[in-house]
Amino acid sequence: MSIQLTRRALLASATGAAGALLVHGSARAAETVPPIRIGLTSVVVRENLDFFSDWAAYLAARLERPVTFIQRRSYSEIMDLLKSGDVHFAWICGYPYARRRDPEFLELLAVPLWQGAPLYQSYIIASVGAAGIQTLADLHSGVFAYSDPDSNSGYLVPRDMLTREGMSPESLFRVSFFTWDHGETVQAVADGVADAGAVDSYVWEYVEATQPSLAGRTRVLARSDRFGFPPLVARRGIGNDLTRRMRGALLGMADDTAGRLLLDRLALDGFSVQPDSLYDSIRELAARSGRPA
Amino acid sequence: MMRASLHPRSWSLMVKLPLTIGLIIGCVAMVIGIAIVKEQQAQGTAALEERTLTVARAVAAAAPEAALRNDYWTLHKVLATMTRRTATAGSAGAPVTTAMILDPGVRTLASLEPRVNPIALPAVLAEGTHAMAAAALDKGTATVRWLADESVVEGAVPVTLNGTTLAAVVVRLSAADLSAALWEATRIILGLTVLLAIAGSVAAAMISRRMVRPLKALAGGMDVIGRGGSHLIPESAVRDRDEIGRLVDRFNRMSAELAEARRKEQELAVNEKLVAVGRIAAGVAHEVNNPLAGMLNCLDTLRSRPGDQVLVERYLPVIEQGLHRIQGIVQGLLSELRDGRGTGGCATALGDPADLRDLLAADLRGRALRLDWDVEAAVAPILRRPSVQQAVTNLVKNAVAAMPDGGRVGVRAHARGDEAVIEVEDEGHGIAQEDVGRIFDPFYTTRNDGTGLGLWITWRLIDDLGGAIAVDSEPGVGTIVRLCLPLNQLMGDMDERMRV
Repeated sequence: MSIQLTRRALLASATGAAGALLVHGSARAAETVPPIRIGLTSVVVRENLDFFSDWAAYLAARLERPVTFIQRRSYSEIMDLLKSGDVHFAWICGYPYARRRDPEFLELLAVPLWQGAPLYQSYIIASVGAAGIQTLADLHSGVFAYSDPDSNSGYLVPRDMLTREGMSPESLFRVSFFTWDHGETVQAVADGVADAGAVDSYVWEYVEATQPSLAGRTRVLARSDRFGFPPLVARRGIGNDLTRRMRGALLGMADDTAGRLLLDRLALDGFSVQPDSLYDSIRELAARSGRPA
Repeated sequence: MMRASLHPRSWSLMVKLPLTIGLIIGCVAMVIGIAIVKEQQAQGTAALEERTLTVARAVAAAAPEAALRNDYWTLHKVLATMTRRTATAGSAGAPVTTAMILDPGVRTLASLEPRVNPIALPAVLAEGTHAMAAAALDKGTATVRWLADESVVEGAVPVTLNGTTLAAVVVRLSAADLSAALWEATRIILGLTVLLAIAGSVAAAMISRRMVRPLKALAGGMDVIGRGGSHLIPESAVRDRDEIGRLVDRFNRMSAELAEARRKEQELAVNEKLVAVGRIAAGVAHEVNNPLAGMLNCLDTLRSRPGDQVLVERYLPVIEQGLHRIQGIVQGLLSELRDGRGTGGCATALGDPADLRDLLAADLRGRALRLDWDVEAAVAPILRRPSVQQAVTNLVKNAVAAMPDGGRVGVRAHARGDEAVIEVEDEGHGIAQEDVGRIFDPFYTTRNDGTGLGLWITWRLIDDLGGAIAVDSEPGVGTIVRLCLPLNQLMGDMDERMRV
């Protein structure tokens, strides 16, 4: 809710073309060239809105076109925008990317490098206050927080972990709910609204580094296998030139000071080009879980 | 004595007035203060109840969609945001202690204390709270109530969508801020009360000082006047022209008039003295002149008939008698004026009252007179005093003179209380009523051979002893002269003299 307020304040102050995160960009951008629109989901930490205006300015300078970030609550909304062509690029979760589309309208743009690899995990975290929860089995009849039904680390992976432990995620919990944001999952578990939750390891580590008092009220109960890091994707048909230039701009961030500073703020090492097969493990997982792959 | 001075009735006005006024002001300020605090409490209570419902309604207004979807996390965020103390809208810093959203089965949808009331479990509620939540869920009514210890106010409001009740919001607000504000107001009012009481007391002390200063001056002035002096209260002691000021004015006027009257009295006394001296002088002149005329006649006759032995034989005694008489007058006057004690009339003091009796009886012998002597032993010592003896002698002589045809003279002495009463009674012609007032004047006499000094001397003797003389007379029946003397004082003097 506080994010919402900050966002409004940001719009009201009209800090510039790249600062507008909401929907249709800014008037100034529309004057000349239509802006490049990039969709965001909760795979990245949304707390620092200034960061996205700085990043948009950085990318706009590299691409010589205005850049606008567009925020939506759920993955499916961003996927719809990608499908309809309302966004050119998007940073989405591995599972939405790995799913088979017919016709395919996505192309892998770049994969972030975190802690030296294009990989991340799912953490199952428990509230520090819920002392009775020591293993996954202790989650029985508790309250569990997922991030998004289309999330890999926030939904598919924890359910698979429970299933492999011999438990049924459908009946294990007294109640479960979606927070639609990995950061808020940490909040819900920390506040004790949920006894436990599943969270992107990158987000949890980021929160631990930036808000240790919040992360400190949670503890990691279990860690999953490693999966391909949530990728940046391009919509097919926007032109190879634009895709190539965008990829170049992203890959080049690690090589200049401004880019490095932005990467540091994201706690990432850089962006890389990876084969589509990086996400095969997610496809297997989805197939195993009975989800569309 | 201490007790008497501690009693409030004996306190000074300068204490009583400030205390009373301070007390009255303090009481009035206290009553007003209590009324203000009570009013504030009522207003604060109503405002807090309103605020409780406002917070609950704000939550209820934001909750229906999420409640419909059982979106626990959104409900929690709505609840947490709306009830946050630093919230900018709606709840405006309301001191929310706890809040929750309950579903129609009174299970927790969201709670600020998820560990106390975990979501999706029947809510653990106090009985009253449960009743309020049930009223909101079943009847859609918004209610507010105070918890037993009045430190918390609780409100319950339904969450409705299109007329259907989906949930209930229960909010508790702490009254600690209200209590703190009331306590602060109470402290300010107490402080003001004390300050006002002190200010009132100080003002009253100043007023009473202005009042008491002239009163004290008045009391002091009255003391002076009571002792026979004269006193004027200075203008500086009285600045106000109020009742007390006018009283002081009157006092000063009275004091001045009194001083004037006293001065006139003194003038009058001097005049009277002069008159008395004149009267004495005239009396002496007259008394001396009478025999002188006779004697000058005798001398003229003798000179015109020198050698007439018969005339010499006849006139010389007359001249001698006249000279004796003048001598008697002059001696009596001298002795009286010289020592003022008048012992000259009776040259020798007799020791015993019995001797006095015998002497008086001897004077009476050979005449148709009788002396009745009745003296109590208790007062006999009084009759040893020369001045008393002379007074009695003078009175007996007057009694004898009043009875040329004989009769009885009574001398009685007895104690009456702390007085010695000596009575001399005769059966003579008595004293005319109009003359009674003058018989003690010097040279006043009704007898041809009297000097008019006897009773005057007697009066002075008795006056010197601190006694009094009363005359009881009826013309043709007789006269009683009564001497009243202070018995104890005279006896004491006697004892002292004996000891010396």
